Amino acid sequence: MDVEPPTNYSDSASMQSNSEYSDAECEPHIDENEYFHDTEREHNEIAHSVISEIREGLTPGTQNASNGINGKNANTSTNVHKSVSAESLPISNSTSTVSGEIVNSLSAATLDEGDDDDAQFDYMHDSVWRGQKKHIFILSEAGKPIYSLHGNEDKLATLFGVIQALVSFVQHGQDAITSIHAGGIKFVFLVRNTLILVAASRTNMSVAQLQLQLSDVYNQILSTLTNKHVTRIFEKRKNFDLRRSLAGSERLIYHLLSNDSSNKRVTNNVFTFLTNSIRVLPLPTTVRASIVSGIQSNCSKIKDLVFAVLIANNKLISLIRMKKYSIHPADLRLIFNLIECSESFKSSENWTPICLPKFDMNGYLYAHVSYLTDDCQACLLLLSVDPNVFFTLSDAKRRITDKLRSTKSLEAISREIEKPTNGGLNLTAIGIPELRHFLYKPKTAAQLLCSELMPPYTTLKEFERLEGIYCDLLHRIHNSTRPLKLIYEVHEREVVLAWVTAAYELYAVFEPLVDKCAVIKNVDKLIKWIEKEYDVFFIRNHPTF
Amino acid sequence: MATRKKSLLKVIILGDSSVGKTSLMNQYINKRFSNQYKATIGADFCTKEVMADDRVVTMQIWDTAGQERFQSLGVAFYRGADCCVLVYDVTSPNSFKNLDSWRDEFLIQASPRDPDHFPFVVLGNKVDMDNRQVSTRRAQQWCQSKNDMPYFETSAKDGTNVELAFQTIARNALAQEAEVELYNEFPDQIRLNTDRNNRNGNADNCQC
Ligand SMILES: Nc1nc2c(ncn2[C@@H]2O[C@H](COP(=O)(O)OP(=O)(O)O)[C@@H](O)[C@H]2O)c(=O)[nH]1
Ligand SMILES: [Mg+2]
Repeated sequence: MDVEPPTNYSDSASMQSNSEYSDAECEPHIDENEYFHDTEREHNEIAHSVISEIREGLTPGTQNASNGINGKNANTSTNVHKSVSAESLPISNSTSTVSGEIVNSLSAATLDEGDDDDAQFDYMHDSVWRGQKKHIFILSEAGKPIYSLHGNEDKLATLFGVIQALVSFVQHGQDAITSIHAGGIKFVFLVRNTLILVAASRTNMSVAQLQLQLSDVYNQILSTLTNKHVTRIFEKRKNFDLRRSLAGSERLIYHLLSNDSSNKRVTNNVFTFLTNSIRVLPLPTTVRASIVSGIQSNCSKIKDLVFAVLIANNKLISLIRMKKYSIHPADLRLIFNLIECSESFKSSENWTPICLPKFDMNGYLYAHVSYLTDDCQACLLLLSVDPNVFFTLSDAKRRITDKLRSTKSLEAISREIEKPTNGGLNLTAIGIPELRHFLYKPKTAAQLLCSELMPPYTTLKEFERLEGIYCDLLHRIHNSTRPLKLIYEVHEREVVLAWVTAAYELYAVFEPLVDKCAVIKNVDKLIKWIEKEYDVFFIRNHPTF
Repeated sequence: MATRKKSLLKVIILGDSSVGKTSLMNQYINKRFSNQYKATIGADFCTKEVMADDRVVTMQIWDTAGQERFQSLGVAFYRGADCCVLVYDVTSPNSFKNLDSWRDEFLIQASPRDPDHFPFVVLGNKVDMDNRQVSTRRAQQWCQSKNDMPYFETSAKDGTNVELAFQTIARNALAQEAEVELYNEFPDQIRLNTDRNNRNGNADNCQC
């Protein structure tokens, strides 16, 4: 492999690179401002809260240069920098008037303390609630709460009202609010078909990344109710309390959102949604082939069977599909999520409707869900459009299991599942000691290979940093107006690389003292190794029935 | 998560500027009265949990400015309201006359499913003052003529009838909200056809 002298070489130590790589989609001034945020944040970390951010950020006269409100049609020309508040005056003005009132209701709430209501727990003055790294709120267009990641949504009804007012105000001006940046917190909005989704985050995720997460959440809701149902409910009753319909599936939303460091989880899972991909369980090609043929031979005659999906440990073993149909990674992530948070599937055969929004947002597929055997914890989903074929599919499952047992595939799967690497790649196997972690995603498939998390990234704090590095790299590489092909940066605690070729995207983190030549050599070795083992770690084509 | 069924009601308070909407809300929430006038601009929200018909109900109260200013939020503001509270000032005949247009405005903008039975509650505020100009009889007559809207005479200053009025608001809104058909019509089966080929999935050209 030849690594040409990087055309976009940037050293993170130089301020130049900050504007050099600023994301035009998110407006240059933001990046510039974020620099100020960071310094600001260090000083009054404790005092910050989501609400005080809104308050400080939007109250007129605060003169906080680091705040900006971004609408879709907002001025995106370059060099807006600090004059942005003046440029988007109409928006900031009236949102401030709203927030002026927030301040009122907040102070009103303060007066309330010690009065009568113990039941009226006041999250907005609760330091734990305010200190969360990430909040997610879902509400109806009427401003009624549907879901809050942290805290009882009922008790946050005031905040939900404020969010609705902000969104509608901007809508009223024929615009759409995308994000608000205030004091180190990003508020990201996604308005979809009568639902409003908001993320408030102190993490390193970019606006686009947070939107991707919100859209996963939105898909999760559709997966339970279908788009058609949600639309119809709100057509009939705009005041409908959607919590009634979602009762019982809050856990799915929670689980979907709990995969990153903001929830104190140290796992590679977060990288799948950041790269809009899924992970594959590594298996010898012969094993995977015999699994596929075992499923095919027992399913090919079943009418209306659209997909057969075999998964384990949040990873795909194989997918067999009806001719002309394919599955979107966002849909597969919903399937993974469902399996991950349904312990009860382990003990019985199940029949459940599931809407896969990218496949068809208005209807259900019916899934026969079961684990293969007690000694092989892989989960098989047979998805049909026909709601009346439970017994047919149940029968097929039994035959598939028998077949996989006789071909020793069950053993092979179990062996891989039980490996301590948990499907992550053990770097010592490749023999690149300077490489600490990497993500590799081929261009032709939405599949992600990542290495096992090893020290130092096994502690929450260090993992957060790693997550931040990848968020930043991905954000800059996928910048729609200025996409980059290569980033090489020497950071204080690691050397980072992002490299996009016609065949793959690679993101890698090295020991801090490694020099450029060594990085080039190591990357070369890694790529050769992956190419050699490609069919163990990736699935080139999903066969049809 | 929730074992007990939760209810949340969106309540909108409308009426001319300075009839006492914000004061009523504050009185209800805080049981305090502030004489300091502050024109409402844009919007204000507050939340109160109440017991109504043996249920815990969260009232999400939307306070608006009178007149032109709050037009800026337009339809969105009224959308999905469970109850509308119309407030006038008993010392201001004009504010009483305007109730008609506030009511119409609400019905047009919110376009509730069943306008004739949408729960309104009318409050004649500032009854503590001695220069009263609108008689109880006149107000009651008007309320009767509009499908018998419940009517209360209140004072945000001394708290007269405020609790009672909001209790009624909660109960009426709840009654309305409760009669929900369960939208469980049998879902249509997905139809597979060959030329369809995942129209959604192809949009972002991304497959596993
Ligand atoms: N005496 C008396 N004054 C009131 C009462 N309610 C409100 N006010 C006063 O009327 C003015 C306008 O009240 P406010 O709540 O701001 O009206 P809004 O514009 O409808 O929100 C303020 O000076 C209040 O102190 C009341 O019940 N009695
Ligand atoms: Mg007011």
